[in-house]
Amino acid sequence: MPNSNRQSGGKSNRSGSGRAAPGAGSKNKYAERHAAKQAQRQAELQARRRRNLFWGMGIVGLVIVIVVVLVIVKVGGGGNGSGSAGSSTSPPAGTPIPVALTGKLGSIPLSELTSASTGGLTTSPQTIRDPALTSNGKPDLLYIGAEFCPVCATERWAMYVALSKFGTFDPQPGQIHSAIRDGDIPTLTFYKTTYTSPYLSFTPVETTTNQPEGNYYVTLQTPTAAQQKLWVAHTGQSFPWLDFGGKKELTSAQFDPSTLEGLTFSDIAADVGNNSTAIGTDIDAAAKVFVRTICTNLTDNQPADVCKSVGNG
Amino acid sequence: MADVVQPRWPGWVGSAASLAGFGVAAYLTYEHYTGSTTLACSDKGIVNCLEVTTSSYSKIAGVPVALSGLIFFAIMFVLQLPALWRRTEPAIRIARVAWSVVGLGTVLYLLYAELFKIDAICLWCTAVHVLTFVVFVVTVFGTLMTSSPEGT
Repeated sequence: MPNSNRQSGGKSNRSGSGRAAPGAGSKNKYAERHAAKQAQRQAELQARRRRNLFWGMGIVGLVIVIVVVLVIVKVGGGGNGSGSAGSSTSPPAGTPIPVALTGKLGSIPLSELTSASTGGLTTSPQTIRDPALTSNGKPDLLYIGAEFCPVCATERWAMYVALSKFGTFDPQPGQIHSAIRDGDIPTLTFYKTTYTSPYLSFTPVETTTNQPEGNYYVTLQTPTAAQQKLWVAHTGQSFPWLDFGGKKELTSAQFDPSTLEGLTFSDIAADVGNNSTAIGTDIDAAAKVFVRTICTNLTDNQPADVCKSVGNG
Repeated sequence: MADVVQPRWPGWVGSAASLAGFGVAAYLTYEHYTGSTTLACSDKGIVNCLEVTTSSYSKIAGVPVALSGLIFFAIMFVLQLPALWRRTEPAIRIARVAWSVVGLGTVLYLLYAELFKIDAICLWCTAVHVLTFVVFVVTVFGTLMTSSPEGT
């Protein structure tokens, strides 16, 4: 600022205006110019603040509009309606799976599992350090899930494919779907099945059906006190939970359940074992991870032909 | 050098809201890992915390949403500290805006899930959603109002 004053004064003197007090006049002019500049700057600042305020209100307003629209659509009848059973595109719970399909799902070639890309998987079994979990003298795979649960519905496809490499189900699982208000994903249920394997035991606990009752779902099976304790300790009772002999756990589906929404049981079954489809690839890859985890943590890499084919996990 | 207009309120309001959000998220995380046995919330009708906190939407990619909320607010609390609001480095401002957008996007997704997938509303979760929205509003207005007159 002092420099500006000096320059203004110098110019005024050079111009030689002939006034009685040329220095004072130029100072006044400068002061006027400075005041005008300040006023202009203030006005610009005010305008910028108004613009920013406008933008801020616009952004926040947009968010409020989105929320209001969601609520209006809901109140106007969107969604599934609280507690409603609705209607499913899947057959009733427990409907037998055609033998041709169980035969196919139970004998997906190991080469197909091995070559499936795991790029679509979002999670995998994680290490835990619990005392060895056994049942009937064999390493135990404990599964706690629920028939309403879409994440469980998604993972059961890979579980069935993988477990079929180590043993057999009798009777075969029936068809089921996750709750209508929770994805309505076709799948199979391990309720009332028995699994026999020379290598491991499999303990499925389906805690509820997919039928709403009150604010939850109809109870189906109750974990034992020991299972409950482990389940609470590891997940706080969320579904699904898989405990691989106390060595690994899986607390979610290995791929996004929404990819199976809107499909029929036959649609999904047709894709399993076909790595040229996205769904087939994800289920095959999840089954591969499952087989590897079982081989490494439960069966000491037995049977050799299975475990050697899919590699180490 | 451009003057920077720096109101004090974004730092105080933002950090207070983040701290409150951290508290609620900590409670929900505790309930998640203890089986939600002491969750203080209605379990009747549309307001049903247990149904929401034990639904399949209570996890994203295997990570409990409550835990994600806890981490979100912990980081947001730091970003909202008055001392950081006084800093004008673009990296800090961008990080704060981006993080608040992530939070708001997650809230909108979870609100959609509650309304249209789970058909139940969790009041504790709603408290977290409101606090996330408050933090977003503070971040938006705070950022716009601390921009320099030169637009930097």
